[in-house]
Amino acid sequence: MTDEKTGRVIEIIREFANIGAGSAATALSYLLDVELMNDVTSCDILPMAKVSEWLGGADKVVAGTYTYLCGELKSGILVVLPEASAITLLTHLTKEKVDLSSLTEIQKSALKEVGNICLCWYLMAVSKMIDIDMIPAPPDAAVDLLGAVLDIPLASLGQRVDTVLAVHTSFKALDSHFDGYFLMLPEESTLKLILERMGESSR
Amino acid sequence: MIEPRTVGIAQIAICHAPEQLVCLGLGSCVAVILYDPGIRTGGIVHVLLPHAPAKCDREEKYADTGTRKLVKEMIGYGVKKERLVAKLVGGAQMFPGLNLAIANIGRENSMGARSVLREFNIRVVAEDLEGNRGRSAYFDSATGQVTIKTAFLPTKVI
Repeated sequence: MTDEKTGRVIEIIREFANIGAGSAATALSYLLDVELMNDVTSCDILPMAKVSEWLGGADKVVAGTYTYLCGELKSGILVVLPEASAITLLTHLTKEKVDLSSLTEIQKSALKEVGNICLCWYLMAVSKMIDIDMIPAPPDAAVDLLGAVLDIPLASLGQRVDTVLAVHTSFKALDSHFDGYFLMLPEESTLKLILERMGESSR
Repeated sequence: MIEPRTVGIAQIAICHAPEQLVCLGLGSCVAVILYDPGIRTGGIVHVLLPHAPAKCDREEKYADTGTRKLVKEMIGYGVKKERLVAKLVGGAQMFPGLNLAIANIGRENSMGARSVLREFNIRVVAEDLEGNRGRSAYFDSATGQVTIKTAFLPTKVI
């Protein structure tokens, strides 16, 4: 791809993710009853070794919910919350004391479910836009080092590619200390399909 | 004190005492750490997947080809194969609830590395594998020790 072409692709994918993230943030703000604001979506093409660095460092502790699209579109998609935000969220939802090192069943389930709701809203919005059904696998959540959380998403792309296109939209609450981000890691075939449907030929 | 050099996914690094290397946030990835105590030289390859396909794009990404490449490169640095010992870290199952074939890639990664080490007759002297916790591995080439840090468990040295 030429530089100009790459620039356009990034522009389009960014727009695509913006719509998804907007919808997901709406769902999350209903759920938590706080007003959430999305930041600018950033999108970059990176070698695998650099992805966790791009997201703020592989040794940060985060709560990540991951699912994988297994229909016509193939992409990994994640909701990632930093340590403090995960505690805020779970305390708010379960009204219990939260210890991230040993989450109770109900807390783990809450984390998964919040991720599930966000991701489904994200997918609903984008699938409407490009008129393709998206079928997510049931999600799973992990509270761990960011690098470790990203391993499986990257491994599922890694067989075919060395560099990945990563799309990142962060959100934060207006009045409380709560933030996090959505991350999408589409496969190359999926990228092509999205671009086609968004009116950009992939040639 | 020198900052340890970071070894990212699908990267190889080799160092001499007193340099240090680190793999941050190993989940299902495996760090294959080789060390020659004779000349105090060590190397790490940070692998993502177990087996290279027939048309391999990048040897460092796979446990089998990556480990082979690391051994070869280290021999280029004057390391004696007979003196090499190995330590393995990582290979966790990060999302056990995920209903995907790839969910247990961590175990396959460590098996892949292990079978190549057996081919070369390199002994695995220590390991911290599997489970469902991410790890960061700090390797000190002066001693050959690997310090393992996790998100919530106490630090341990192997």
